Amino acid sequence: MTTRSPQPKRDIGGMATACVFIVLSCIALWDTTTMMDSDSYVFPRAIAIALIVFSLLLILYNLIRPGERAPVTAGGESTPRRVMLVAVMLLSCFAMPWLGFLLCGMVSFGLLMMVSMYEPWTTKRRLIYPVVAVAVVAGFYTLFSTFLMVPLPVGFLFE
Amino acid sequence: MPGFEYLVAALTLWHIFLALSGVIAGTVIGSLPGLTATMAVAVLVPITFSMAPSSALILMGAIYTGAIYGGAYAAILLNTPGTPSAIATTFDGFPMARRGEGDLAISIACLASVTGGFVGAAFLLMLSPPLAKVALAFGPVEYFWLAVFGLTLISALSEGNLLKGLMGACFGLLLASVGIAEISADVRFTFGSQVLLGGIETVSALIGLYCIPVLIDLVATPDKHLKVTHQPRGFRFFEALAISWKAKLSLLRSSVIGTLVGILPGAGGSIAGLVAYSEARRTSSRREHFGKGEPEGILATESANNATVGGGFIPTLVLGIPGTPPDAVILGALLIQGVRTGPSLFTEGGSIVYTFIYGLFIATALMLPVGLVIGRYAYRTIITVPKAVLVPTVAFMTMIGTYAIRNSVSDIIIMIVLGVIGWILNRFGFSPSPIVLGLILGRIAEQGFVQAWTIGAATGELWKMFFGRPISLAIIVFILFSLSYPLLRARWSRRAGRT
Repeated sequence: MTTRSPQPKRDIGGMATACVFIVLSCIALWDTTTMMDSDSYVFPRAIAIALIVFSLLLILYNLIRPGERAPVTAGGESTPRRVMLVAVMLLSCFAMPWLGFLLCGMVSFGLLMMVSMYEPWTTKRRLIYPVVAVAVVAGFYTLFSTFLMVPLPVGFLFE
Repeated sequence: MPGFEYLVAALTLWHIFLALSGVIAGTVIGSLPGLTATMAVAVLVPITFSMAPSSALILMGAIYTGAIYGGAYAAILLNTPGTPSAIATTFDGFPMARRGEGDLAISIACLASVTGGFVGAAFLLMLSPPLAKVALAFGPVEYFWLAVFGLTLISALSEGNLLKGLMGACFGLLLASVGIAEISADVRFTFGSQVLLGGIETVSALIGLYCIPVLIDLVATPDKHLKVTHQPRGFRFFEALAISWKAKLSLLRSSVIGTLVGILPGAGGSIAGLVAYSEARRTSSRREHFGKGEPEGILATESANNATVGGGFIPTLVLGIPGTPPDAVILGALLIQGVRTGPSLFTEGGSIVYTFIYGLFIATALMLPVGLVIGRYAYRTIITVPKAVLVPTVAFMTMIGTYAIRNSVSDIIIMIVLGVIGWILNRFGFSPSPIVLGLILGRIAEQGFVQAWTIGAATGELWKMFFGRPISLAIIVFILFSLSYPLLRARWSRRAGRT
């Protein structure tokens, strides 16, 4: 959720992003110099130049115009939970070739349950939620591997 | 109009059963993020090999039309287009769901999909041979201008900050050029990574850019995912019907746009939905509400993407050129059955083709009850499931759905990384929609541009190639009008205010 801060501020986040885009475009332009065929580099080179121009315009616009109110984040949001969500998803991807899709899915499902849990862990929830986790993961695994014939990784440890 | 004996042939119990089963299967598969209409048709196509050609076509057409509609569920309830065709459905569908009107949004999407499906099928029934010629008239340069026309939608999607919209689109266009170049086969922007050789898969990117930011924000607070109202409100069918009737012209226009875009091979439902959305927004008296939960936005995109089903079958059946990717799978299945597509199919194979077209009408009609019932179930599930179950379920669905596209774990990693980038950019006022638009249109634009450039340079008529063809000129006029319309409108309003 975002609210407006009382003091007028420049769009620092937008300007920082524009700087990142300029760096990315320069890297892209440098990479196009290694391409042999003009068919390969004409289009991305044009786009990279356009991105640099638009980014510079955004920075310039922010520098010369009167300051405007920049959006700021409202309090009460949990950044550690956000980081944990992304970390769990990424770690399960890296573990997938070894542990397989099913086991990784179940472990990450359980961890994500804990990350997104805001209510107290009552006895009922302790009993029901793991069953739901197993049912959902096993259900989707069966749907994709058996009915849709998607070759989901089994895992080196189980081959 | 072709004889009613074919309608009778389509109305057998067997065909109705096939149409119903196909619509149900397609809707369920299409509602899962990552599983596209192409995949829905492809995985179920072996079932049709033992059937008569007309029955096989009815089943495949029903799966296809159901899958395109099913994509709307995830778009409305999870802000994740179930299929690429439903990208523009997220713009107004998710805001409606957030404010507690997800049930109404689903009913509107269902009615729009049925209307679009009927219009597409009607064009297929009555105007197939002449319309197929339109597909042949489109060369590389026309596709290039069509993609540029699509990019003009950035002004509509950038939510008041055109510069950020343009930057997002350029970023999307650069992402689209990662991997092996389609024309020259040069390796671009992979920096030695094997993972990036295959490029960034569009559907994975869609899931990442739309769904991961929702998950990241969902875990950050104990708030409910969608606003819940506890009064029983039924299907809200008549409310949806009244809204649709009020916007009937927009609905019809979007359906025709969808059919015409569907006829163009390779364009597909995503472009149809975006173009129809842009036109609906431009012409609507409620244009300032678009992007904030305006039902007319859902009507436009959902009618257009379902109209591409009938439209796509026109070049498939008349010319043997698949209009959309699922049509390519269906064409392959027909070839296996020994059916030769072409203009003669409509004269010599009338019993196959017309029975199928009437079957498509039946499947589209069945989509109304099926869509309403499944949609209501999906909505109730999403609002009643506790957050601690919803978040891991959606996260798992995004991972397995992304993996299934190319059987690649790397695609899941790319999807998550793009999701995090999308979330950060969103915090700084960059909407994900222009990035997605660039990603989708980048390949079409580049291919069209490079091919047209090569032909123009070889013939020594480069200028004429880009600006001397009648269809190109017509699209350029649309582009200029689309770009200048907001300025013209502002000027007209100022003038009206002075008088």
